[in-house]
Amino acid sequence: MELTLFIIVGAIALISAALMLIGENAVYSALFLILNLLCIAFLFLMLSAPFLAMVQITVYTGAIMVLFLFVIMLLGAERIVPTVQSRFRWLAPAVVIMALVFLVTVSVALINGEITKTEPRKAEPQVRVVHALDGLASLDMYLDGEPVAQDVQFSAVTGFAPWRAGEYELTIFEAGADPASADALLDQPVTIERGKAYSLTAIGRVGAPGARLVAATHTLDFSDKKDGLRLVVVNALPGRASVDVRDEVYDEVLVSALAYGEAHEFELSKGERDVALYTTGSQRTPVSELPKQALDANTLVLWVFAEQRQPDNSFTDVVISLQDKAPTSFGSPTHIGRLLFTDYVLPFELVALLLLVAMIGAIVLTHDSQAPRQTVERRLANPPPGLEQSAPGETGD
Amino acid sequence: MGSSEVAVELYVLLSAVLFIMGAMGVVLRRNAILVFMSVELMLNAANLALAAFARQWASGSGHLVVFFVMTVAAAEVAVGLALIVTIFRTKKSIDIDTVHMFKG
Repeated sequence: MELTLFIIVGAIALISAALMLIGENAVYSALFLILNLLCIAFLFLMLSAPFLAMVQITVYTGAIMVLFLFVIMLLGAERIVPTVQSRFRWLAPAVVIMALVFLVTVSVALINGEITKTEPRKAEPQVRVVHALDGLASLDMYLDGEPVAQDVQFSAVTGFAPWRAGEYELTIFEAGADPASADALLDQPVTIERGKAYSLTAIGRVGAPGARLVAATHTLDFSDKKDGLRLVVVNALPGRASVDVRDEVYDEVLVSALAYGEAHEFELSKGERDVALYTTGSQRTPVSELPKQALDANTLVLWVFAEQRQPDNSFTDVVISLQDKAPTSFGSPTHIGRLLFTDYVLPFELVALLLLVAMIGAIVLTHDSQAPRQTVERRLANPPPGLEQSAPGETGD
Repeated sequence: MGSSEVAVELYVLLSAVLFIMGAMGVVLRRNAILVFMSVELMLNAANLALAAFARQWASGSGHLVVFFVMTVAAAEVAVGLALIVTIFRTKKSIDIDTVHMFKG
């Protein structure tokens, strides 16, 4: 399906480029170039680059081509037929030979090259902090001594932040503690890989043996399933060795026998669901309930089932339920904007400067200093007969 | 990576063919405006290859380079068309074969 679309759009692009090159009338050539640029904008969309496609249409087919058409009309240059033979007649065969050599080189590189043999790189890893550690008001989390998030309140979740892939020592401290001198409340090694989003979750009860850190993992890949979503469930109930997560409406077991401290990732189709948590084996009274969960497509959903000790020593259930847009929507304006203002600020400024210089240059070049005295010269498109002494390439109309 | 996606090689091949067509236009056409439009075609062919490789490597940098190429193309068009207008004023022609002397 997509291949058919590619062949059709690619063929239109090639035909319009050829018609642009052989056209005698410059206006038709410009219009064929616009068609070609629109085809390329369409191909950008197929390459999951919607922002580039829109910029292509507004900047290229909008601004630049309008400027071209304007200059063609201004100069009256739409029908320029060379009157004299070119002195470079050997160019045509030379160019054809060079084009063939180039095409063969590219084809050989594509056939023998390592373009698709190498594994494609995956999306940048993302991390966030989830605080489900009972008995601690707020915490700071560090990866190899570098702060991930600070002063995270109980049952709060921070936003996803990009992180470098690698192996790290994950530590948490009471909020405000100095990581150099204070003792870590919990520490655990974690491996952060590309193409995954990590919810670094602190679970259990402070001081109790069950307290630990869990790296709940979302896979960042939505290329196959367009209306699905990815769910991660974490069992953070120290008193429950094993739980089941059930969908009450469809009477379907979503996760079975999830042990304490484990995270399970699975895919689900979008829709509204009533979810309940049971002790494994029992179906009588739910431990915890999550009614009317509206689940959208292309999101990352996190459910952490935890509990909190009250002053009277009873426990209340705490369910951390969170739904995020997939953090790396590759090629989106947000993604490009973030890159533009972080890694590419200097090139961005330089390009802005270049545009300013080009604007001044265009004004200087076209500024006619003799304009007030020789008003006849300004009507370039239709010069009066007296001025038309030697114009070899121009026919006028 | 889904199996339905078009292979990156096809995009690069299309881009190479468009690039060659643009290069032929630059060398063989004698109308300065058409030469200029062929340069735009070459830039776009390069952009297409960049976007294809950006998808292959899931890297936003490719998109950024395309963005910068578009900006530079806009600047180039502004100056280039101003030059063409100036040359037309002095030579009364935009046939590039007649523009072989620095003398105005």
